[in-house]
Amino acid sequence: MPSELLKGFRLLDLTDEKGALCGKMFADLGAEVIKVEPIGGCTTRRIPPYLEDKADVDHCLYSIAYHAGKKSVTANLATEDGRALVADLAAHSDFLVESHALRYLDSIGLGYDALARKNPRLIYASITPFGDTGPGKDYNWADIITWAAGGMMYLMGEEDKPPLQMSLPQAGLHAGAEAAVAMMLAHYPREVDGLGQQIVVNMQACIVWTLMNEQAMPFLHGNHLTRTGIFTGSADARRKMVFQCKDGHISILIAGGTTVGNSTKALIEWMGETGFGSEWMRTKDWISWVPGVFMKLTEEDHQQIDDLETTIQRFFLTMTKHEIYAEGLKRRIFLAPVADVADVAADEQLKARDFWTAVPHDTLGRTLTFPGPFVKMSATPIGTTTRAPRIGEHSDEIYRALLGLAPERLTKLRAAGSI
Amino acid sequence: MSRFALEGVHVLDFAWVGVGPITTKYFADNGADVIRVESASRLDVLRIGPPWKDAMPGINRSQFFASFNTSKKGITLDLGKPKARDLVKRLVPWADIIVESFTPKAMRNWGLDYENLRALRPDLIMLSTCMQGQTGPNALYPGFGQLMAALSGFYYISGYGPGSCTPPYGAYTDFIAPRFSAFALLAALDYRRRTGNGQYIDMSQYECAMQNLAPALIDYHATGRVLEPRGNASARYAPHGAYRCADEDGNERWIAIAVATDEQWRAMLTVLNTDSEARFATAPARIENAAAIDQFVGSLTRIHNAHDLTVKLQAAEVAAYPVENCVDIHQDENLEAFGFWHWLEHKEMGPSPYEGLEHRMSRTPGTLRSAAPTLGQHNDEVFGEMLSLSPDEIEQLKKENVIF
Repeated sequence: MPSELLKGFRLLDLTDEKGALCGKMFADLGAEVIKVEPIGGCTTRRIPPYLEDKADVDHCLYSIAYHAGKKSVTANLATEDGRALVADLAAHSDFLVESHALRYLDSIGLGYDALARKNPRLIYASITPFGDTGPGKDYNWADIITWAAGGMMYLMGEEDKPPLQMSLPQAGLHAGAEAAVAMMLAHYPREVDGLGQQIVVNMQACIVWTLMNEQAMPFLHGNHLTRTGIFTGSADARRKMVFQCKDGHISILIAGGTTVGNSTKALIEWMGETGFGSEWMRTKDWISWVPGVFMKLTEEDHQQIDDLETTIQRFFLTMTKHEIYAEGLKRRIFLAPVADVADVAADEQLKARDFWTAVPHDTLGRTLTFPGPFVKMSATPIGTTTRAPRIGEHSDEIYRALLGLAPERLTKLRAAGSI
Repeated sequence: MSRFALEGVHVLDFAWVGVGPITTKYFADNGADVIRVESASRLDVLRIGPPWKDAMPGINRSQFFASFNTSKKGITLDLGKPKARDLVKRLVPWADIIVESFTPKAMRNWGLDYENLRALRPDLIMLSTCMQGQTGPNALYPGFGQLMAALSGFYYISGYGPGSCTPPYGAYTDFIAPRFSAFALLAALDYRRRTGNGQYIDMSQYECAMQNLAPALIDYHATGRVLEPRGNASARYAPHGAYRCADEDGNERWIAIAVATDEQWRAMLTVLNTDSEARFATAPARIENAAAIDQFVGSLTRIHNAHDLTVKLQAAEVAAYPVENCVDIHQDENLEAFGFWHWLEHKEMGPSPYEGLEHRMSRTPGTLRSAAPTLGQHNDEVFGEMLSLSPDEIEQLKKENVIF
């Protein structure tokens, strides 16, 4: 059952991979999301990898994941009729999100001003890589470009190797989610005075927002980080954050202070039980040891950190990531396995919360398992309920029921290549 | 017409560290009244996190805290004390939304859980956010976003190949979850408008993070294929990666380039003033030979200035951008044109740089309305004006460390 949360609202989705998650989020909340795509399907239908490496639009994992819950109509924006259909759909919609080249939709009569004249309630969001006014407003884009422009790429990777992107591109997802928030922000006053508005989402800014506390370092501390592989922190408080274990890696926070100090103590105690570690580790006052914050690191601190990190490394190599995580949980140690998707899929916590969601795919003759809802809501449960549509699967339904087009008209539009 | 989108919305914010405060920041910057409830006995760890004004630590000197708490008011209460909880209960009827991010049992132990609070405000919307959700065997998992980024799979897919792990900087998942929580809260507000009903929202940052890995998770469940790290290699683009440019002021510089089509490939070669090698003529051949392409392109970019090369490549319709560091992003002409950066005057820090909004609205634009509150900055205002406590009463409560 679709969620009741945004039931009755309609969103037109004219995005590609710069914003597909936006419509997915609205669909998860029960809005009717109509994906408008070219006759051959939008570019997101052909993003590798494919399920079982079958390189066709039905097996495209990106589409399976991020178009789930949507409907699809086709409209050929190169034709007058195709454009008129989209304008009519917009007149019947509450939200529109798009990620075309800047001003393209304006140039074909589907910009905000034109559509808002007919439908002043419309909330219209444009997702842009670099905003709408700067020298890069028309720049060519790929996800890695924003990862670089937003400052995250610079901070990822080893010192003697190139900066890195994650192996599942993220920038377009952040921008899509940001568009969803922005449109719901605009929705609140719209339900008071009936007026929509235009929104421009800046993807570069979305990635800058992932830099946590780094952005102000140059101004306040006069320095900034470079990529440091598995280490974290400034030169003053550099710590190894990833250790090898029997079958992979473990991430752990090692520090003193009131928050993390007890975790460090618990780890040292655990190591001591199996003969790892030395006396100084067990007797040190970890709670008041906060170098880098209220004290400078001494030569002794550096030696101790080295000793501790070496000990932890030897200790973790005796166990698997699952064993370490299970014991870490019991002892309340700030650590986590560097989980791959198999670990995540097997995770007991997600299973206990009944997280995974089965979504039947008659198009593939099988049921696929999706990540469950991003929040659990007491009154209006949300989540994925239906598979991604085939390209144009709902053209007839939407154009007939919503726009009242006669079957003969649809046949003509089809013959003319408009839908 | 309201000047801000959320004027008149009231949020009581018990959250700390990243996800909760960033969630309520969306509300505060858009005109909602957000009161951040803090405690000096259990200080938000970000208050002592760097960077600090003049690199000098202090609870009112952290930009880490300041960036996530703009436009909010700040009060201090020691929730361990019954009198403090009574004051909270007097604020609850005012609140449309309550957000908290303690480990699950804390609010229950204080009698400040949803069931108790909605007795005071029947249409209350309440969001609890924690690492792994309010239920399940690992509900009490302590931790920060760095660990969540490892646990949810982002560390694993950050590396040069299988076995390599070079994590993203910082608490990556802290910057995924707030968009989902803010979106859910705003939708819950609308549902309340339509039906009169509030509700309780249980948010696991782990489950939010999964949304950004959905294709790989669906794939694994269906076929058992595990997404491995693969450096900057792509199945769609080659070249695709970061390429070393000319050093500037002794610092290494890199440019990101992504080429999908033959036209872009030829345009890139023209800009780099070289001829193609026959083995790289087609897109499939380039993707097949991605490692060789990386060497080839990297040898050509080395003499170029990253910014100038970006301008030239983009003029030739090739996707490219400098790999920017934290100095660069403050001088970036596109972020500047968008008006992204704000320098706000903070009570103790003076002017300092804040990230702005990642979107712009035409009619009710949000903005950073004020710098972050110092610890307890608005105690007198909130307890005096909103709860009508007399200065003597407030003084007494401060003496008792209730307001603390």
